Amino acid sequence: MGIPLAWYNLLYERTRLLVAIAGVAFAVLLIFMNLGFLGALTTTATHIYTQLNADIFLISPQSLEISSTKPFPIERLYQAAGIEGVEAAMPLYSDYMLWRNPETRVSRAMFVYGINPEDAVFLMPELQTPQTQQTLRQPNVVLIDGLSRAEFGAQTTGLETEADRRQVSIGGQYVLGGGFASDGTLIMSDQNFRRFFDPRPLNLINLGLIKLAATAEAERTAVALQAHLPEDVLVLTKAEIIARDRAFWLQTTSIGFIFSLGVAVSFIVGTVIVYQILYTDIRDHLPEYATLKAMGYRNHYLFNVVLQEALILAVMGYVPGLLVALGLYRLTVSATAGSLPVSMNWGRVVFVLILTVAMCSLSGLTSVRRAMRADPAEVFS
Amino acid sequence: MRLTAAESPDFADLALAVQLRGLSYYFGQGDLRKQVLFDIDLDLPTGQIVIMTGPSGSGKTTLLTLIGALRSAYQGSLRVLGQELVGLGDRQRVQIRRNIGFIFQAHNLFESLTAAQNVEMAVELLGDFDTKRAKAVKVLTQLGLADRVSYKPEALSGGQKQRVAIARALVNQPRLILADEPTAALDKKSGRDVVTLMQKLAKEQQRTILMVTHDNRILDVADRIIDLVDGRLESDQSFDSFGQSHDPQSRDRRTLIL
Repeated sequence: MGIPLAWYNLLYERTRLLVAIAGVAFAVLLIFMNLGFLGALTTTATHIYTQLNADIFLISPQSLEISSTKPFPIERLYQAAGIEGVEAAMPLYSDYMLWRNPETRVSRAMFVYGINPEDAVFLMPELQTPQTQQTLRQPNVVLIDGLSRAEFGAQTTGLETEADRRQVSIGGQYVLGGGFASDGTLIMSDQNFRRFFDPRPLNLINLGLIKLAATAEAERTAVALQAHLPEDVLVLTKAEIIARDRAFWLQTTSIGFIFSLGVAVSFIVGTVIVYQILYTDIRDHLPEYATLKAMGYRNHYLFNVVLQEALILAVMGYVPGLLVALGLYRLTVSATAGSLPVSMNWGRVVFVLILTVAMCSLSGLTSVRRAMRADPAEVFS
Repeated sequence: MRLTAAESPDFADLALAVQLRGLSYYFGQGDLRKQVLFDIDLDLPTGQIVIMTGPSGSGKTTLLTLIGALRSAYQGSLRVLGQELVGLGDRQRVQIRRNIGFIFQAHNLFESLTAAQNVEMAVELLGDFDTKRAKAVKVLTQLGLADRVSYKPEALSGGQKQRVAIARALVNQPRLILADEPTAALDKKSGRDVVTLMQKLAKEQQRTILMVTHDNRILDVADRIIDLVDGRLESDQSFDSFGQSHDPQSRDRRTLIL
């Protein structure tokens, strides 16, 4: 086996090696945090779909995402109910409503879900009890999201306040989270929704929820539904509607851009640090590299040495970067009380490893030109 | 002035390690083109130690790098170890260099590698990975560094480092050794030790050594001393005759006469 010159050269300059590892680890950490926040935000934004008791969703093609939907006729839901495999078809109404904090008297927009109390629309266990259904049926009584921001005021059952110039009282709580588009959510019955959002009729719905029979297959039923229904509704499976909302946030808002820019900047920072380290290393060893060439080593040997140094730095920096990122993910989750669910997945672990290797290779390829230019004739002088 | 092996009768019957015919060399391009070597003829028979002297800027180093296949020659003929170098491509020149041992003024050892590993780097060029350690230790032992094989350069004295560099140049038993001021960074005793070692190896193993030096203390190891002035070979003589013609007293006398 050949002498691992790259390894020895890196190990010899301990301080420089530590600085390089710290630099790579820092860039890796920044990339992980940016991707983690981005993932958490899109998870948050689409969390609502995972809590809806439906396999297929009907939505207007003009709807952007959950909080900006265009209502469509409830007849589509009735039409869908006749398709084979459909067990239940449930309407979901949604809109914004101003909620007055009873203490500060400041109003703030709440996102409201209107449901038929007979329908099992949500999966949250606290909404499955008969008492909850009973509560929802009462006029001007709503359930409030426990994860609504503190600015909306107290959430105690029985609390009375004002919403859109109507008296409203809190009948209970549930845990959902507002996602991107809202700071707090409410759930109320369709009859109350009709009262609060007068003159809006109940035959225009925002989202159609289709619950399938256990034997039905979601993709196939969705295709059948889309073929059966007119073009004023889109039929999407759960995975599809989550992907659609995610694409909206990532591609048509600044959120995707901000975090992608964060990743890009981290990548550049890492590249520059590794380049600086490798270049300094090459510069310091230039007479030795030129001597190797005089002895009869070819350029590709030097190329390999520098690239190996780059890859060693990539791996040695990636591991601590990953470990610190895992720690910071956990810290973020506990610091935000679970409302920013940053979590690691294998795809990201592999993706960032590839990015790190690319980052170090790019630096290696840029700095190696200096070593290749080493002129063996200049050593004699 | 033509100086060929025929005029060095002791070695006339041996093969030539280096043969130069009408070698010229230029630096720069176009209007800036400047000739640094003029029509040089030179033969280095196998087994000779040849010292090249001359004022700085006379083209000594350029000539050394041309013979060492570190530069491309374009005009004249330059045969090294039986191979014509004029017009040779980069890849072929690299191949030629593997048969030549280079010793530089600076030792140019990797600080991160031990003495033995630095020497092994040369052995690896031959693809010889099994016996490289044994070969490196053997040559270091010959150079009196048996107890220093696992030391890094920072733990070695200047003379020891230069001897490691020499070991690296010699380990593959090259037939031609090119040295540029190998003793410049050494004190008198270390410098003397180094050249004595080189002389011993040249005689025992029939190596050809071409050495550029300004160090008058080591001129006596040479079989031949050639003098390069302004890119031309001015003289080519044995050490004894060189001593006479460069004797300060005789030179002073000439100055007085003039």
